[in-house]
Amino acid sequence: MSEPISPIRLHKQLERIWMTPPGIGRLSSVNHTVLGKRFMVVALSFFAIGGFLSMLIRAQLATPHSAFIGPEIYNQIFTMHGTVMMFLFAIPMFEGFVIYMLPKMLGARDMAFPRLTAYGFWCYLFGGMILIGAMLAGVAPDSGWFMYTPLSSRPYTPGINADVWLLGITFVEISAVTAAIEIFVSILKMRAPGMALTRMPLMAWYMLVTSGMMIVGFPPLILGSILLELERAFDLPFFDPTRGGDPLLWQHLFWLFGHPEVYIIFLPAAGALSTIIPVFAQRQILGYRAIIAAIVAMGFLSFGLWVHHMFTVGIPHLALAFFSAASALVAIPTAVQIFAWLGTLASGKPKWDVPMLYVFGFFFVFVIGGLTGVMLAMVPFNTQVHDTHFVVAHLHYVLVGGFVFPMLAGIYHWMPHISGRQSLYRLSVPAFWLIFAGFNLTFFQMHLTGLMGMPRRISTYPSNWGWDWLNLSSSIGGFILTMGFALVLADMVLQFRYGRFFRRDPWQAQTLEWATATPPPSYNFAAIPRIDIRADGLEPARIGPVQAGGAGYLGFAREDRQETMGVDMATGAPEHVMILPRRTYLPLWTALATASFFLAMLFGFYALAPFGALATLILFLLWPASLGQKRDQGPVDIGMGEKAPLDVECDSNVSVLANRAAIVMDATLFASLLFGGLFLLVVAPNWEGMTPLDLPLWLAGTALAAAALAGGASWLARRANGREGRGGPWLLATVLGQIAAVAMLVMLALALPEPTAHARQAVILALISYGALHCGLGGLMAGHGYWRLSQGYVSARRQTEMVLSWLWNLYAGAALVPAVGLILLLAYKGAAP
Amino acid sequence: MSRPDIQALVLLIAGFTIWSAAFVLLYALQALGCAYDWGAAHRPILIGAYLASLLPLAWLALRRPYDTGEPQTSLSRAALWANRAALGAGVLVYLPVTFATACI
Repeated sequence: MSEPISPIRLHKQLERIWMTPPGIGRLSSVNHTVLGKRFMVVALSFFAIGGFLSMLIRAQLATPHSAFIGPEIYNQIFTMHGTVMMFLFAIPMFEGFVIYMLPKMLGARDMAFPRLTAYGFWCYLFGGMILIGAMLAGVAPDSGWFMYTPLSSRPYTPGINADVWLLGITFVEISAVTAAIEIFVSILKMRAPGMALTRMPLMAWYMLVTSGMMIVGFPPLILGSILLELERAFDLPFFDPTRGGDPLLWQHLFWLFGHPEVYIIFLPAAGALSTIIPVFAQRQILGYRAIIAAIVAMGFLSFGLWVHHMFTVGIPHLALAFFSAASALVAIPTAVQIFAWLGTLASGKPKWDVPMLYVFGFFFVFVIGGLTGVMLAMVPFNTQVHDTHFVVAHLHYVLVGGFVFPMLAGIYHWMPHISGRQSLYRLSVPAFWLIFAGFNLTFFQMHLTGLMGMPRRISTYPSNWGWDWLNLSSSIGGFILTMGFALVLADMVLQFRYGRFFRRDPWQAQTLEWATATPPPSYNFAAIPRIDIRADGLEPARIGPVQAGGAGYLGFAREDRQETMGVDMATGAPEHVMILPRRTYLPLWTALATASFFLAMLFGFYALAPFGALATLILFLLWPASLGQKRDQGPVDIGMGEKAPLDVECDSNVSVLANRAAIVMDATLFASLLFGGLFLLVVAPNWEGMTPLDLPLWLAGTALAAAALAGGASWLARRANGREGRGGPWLLATVLGQIAAVAMLVMLALALPEPTAHARQAVILALISYGALHCGLGGLMAGHGYWRLSQGYVSARRQTEMVLSWLWNLYAGAALVPAVGLILLLAYKGAAP
Repeated sequence: MSRPDIQALVLLIAGFTIWSAAFVLLYALQALGCAYDWGAAHRPILIGAYLASLLPLAWLALRRPYDTGEPQTSLSRAALWANRAALGAGVLVYLPVTFATACI
């Protein structure tokens, strides 16, 4: 850009722009390296809590007739163990790893939406604190980690225990859904120039599929949680069979999320394995393209298995056969990956080091878990061992084998990157053997107790059924396992404190993250390198000093802006310069406002909850205030003799892509709601002998017409802006159209008779509310676009706000069509054919 | 969509997207047929839907991959394997519509 400067001076300039200030200023951090580490530290803390709870479980079950803890506390402990491990440890742990590592692997300086990363972190922390606080207060959830109704419904769980789960987990899941969109967008748009999709390291492919799975996997759970909380708080009977609801609807919604969730946890770990194994095999991964196909197959097949958790609820043979076949079939793409890893090791020159110990542990444990999974996919066997300790053994072999062992391999592989030091101590070796032996001693026995008929979740058992020594040895194994984890923790602390410094790339790895300094600077790369070969065959030790010297893309500090490259989704050609937002306390304040909403709901202050939601909305509207450009700049220098426009002047920027992904997520939630309504209409009891509802359905038609007109006006606004840089009047027309639609829908809701009387009215109310919320959102987006236009942030070339307004208004109108259709279907239930 | 690289990316998920849609369709037809007592027509409808869902899967599984230029060549070869897997999964998973009891 200007005359060359020294690497040290360049470092100081970039560090001043990207750094996180010390002291209280740390709370304003939006940097992915800082937040990734925070996610991982908090997740490991929750892992310790979950581990402690498991010790209490094993202490209770060590002997028959145990009086160590009573059944009430035991119910809370096993529920919290599962909840903490799944929602507060496993998902956030890989999120933290990916947030820390992905930009470095792909050659970016941060994730696509740094403030969203920070907001997600605070939501995770505050949501987790609600759950742990409830446990300390003795009111933790106690209906099992999957919260089956009617046990978790108000008549059987009258306290706030279930509300803690529903609201706390939904609060935590904000971090998962924001991370999913951010990871998806960052992989597709934020890579080093030249890094085509087929040059990405496999870790990025794994995370691309995982984030896609999260986008469509989490909404059913979020919808289920909302519906159950509505039932508990406002008596809307979605799951109450006496009023046309059905407990099985909860099971469907939960497992529509719950089964893909297992793969959502496994795939990032498999990505880590696909990165680590080639390093120690000293060759590139075998079957790169076959693995991509296998990941895609796994991602989709994992959504076709959910009913195998419900084989015993009473479903026809045909449906059992669908899900049984799909459950067995998913083993094939898994096996493709396992054989690719084994083949890589067999055809390379394997070297033995600590990460490989844990890779060995993964192979041993995960394959056993996979084989018992195939056994459980068979309906007759599944029926025999349903809800026994065999299932507990299987799920721990799969999850510990498929996530914890790869995580430990990853910790030992990448810890030097985070700490800048290598371990001098060999605690990791005895730690491995304690974990490996302790794990197998704990959980292998559960296959046997399960086959002998020992049910899950029981707090005591008689002494004459042959379970005694198996349970005692299982508990001893649990304590050995814990000692192993304690040694790992000690090893980590010692490495951070006394480890040996090293130069770049201590393992001779071939991925880009090792080209940064270690520990990495806040901006990752002083200059972003061009990647012309597959990015798992690079020479980080050569690239590192070159990029640190400023040779590459954006190798300068310009106007105090946080700049990184945006690329073409498929080819990786340089496309635009992204300007990322700098540190701010806004995410923290917004998360606190969101927490106030959830706490108001939790403690039954329903009148206050809307204020929390409103405060969150207002704070969100402040986020873009400092972003954007007030004039068209045209292409700017990006180094390497090339130029590119700024992101605001590019049609395919990350904001547009992220909103498209958010709409897919939203549409999945809506599809789950439609499924729920149809499921109750077709399957649920107590729908016989109904008469049509007396509803002014013309209001629904008028709302639909108003929303359609608003959608059309938003399209005209975008077109007018694209031609002349105007569109304000059409945006105002959009707002008016959506206000009219919301008014009609509110009137329709007010005219609905007795929403608590039957699930039919409850579903109609949910559909109306969804429609009104999205018409309101469409109007808000148009209003926001008008405000940005009036401030000078929108022009014919800078039209992001116009596109977003059009997208959300189009979606609002489109969603109303099936919503009104289902409302009509439900309202006319019982009418003469 | 005229760009071959984007086409290849779409092909990568096309087979299993159709597989998922067919899954939803067949599961819905099974439930609706039982709820509204379609009787003897139920199984022919299911088999018809099964065969209809296999047609696009078969077309995708037989489609020639790109052989020039990157990333479309590598992407479309991975897509070919994914789409063949989708066809195999479709044939196997939905086969029970031909013989299994549809209703309780």
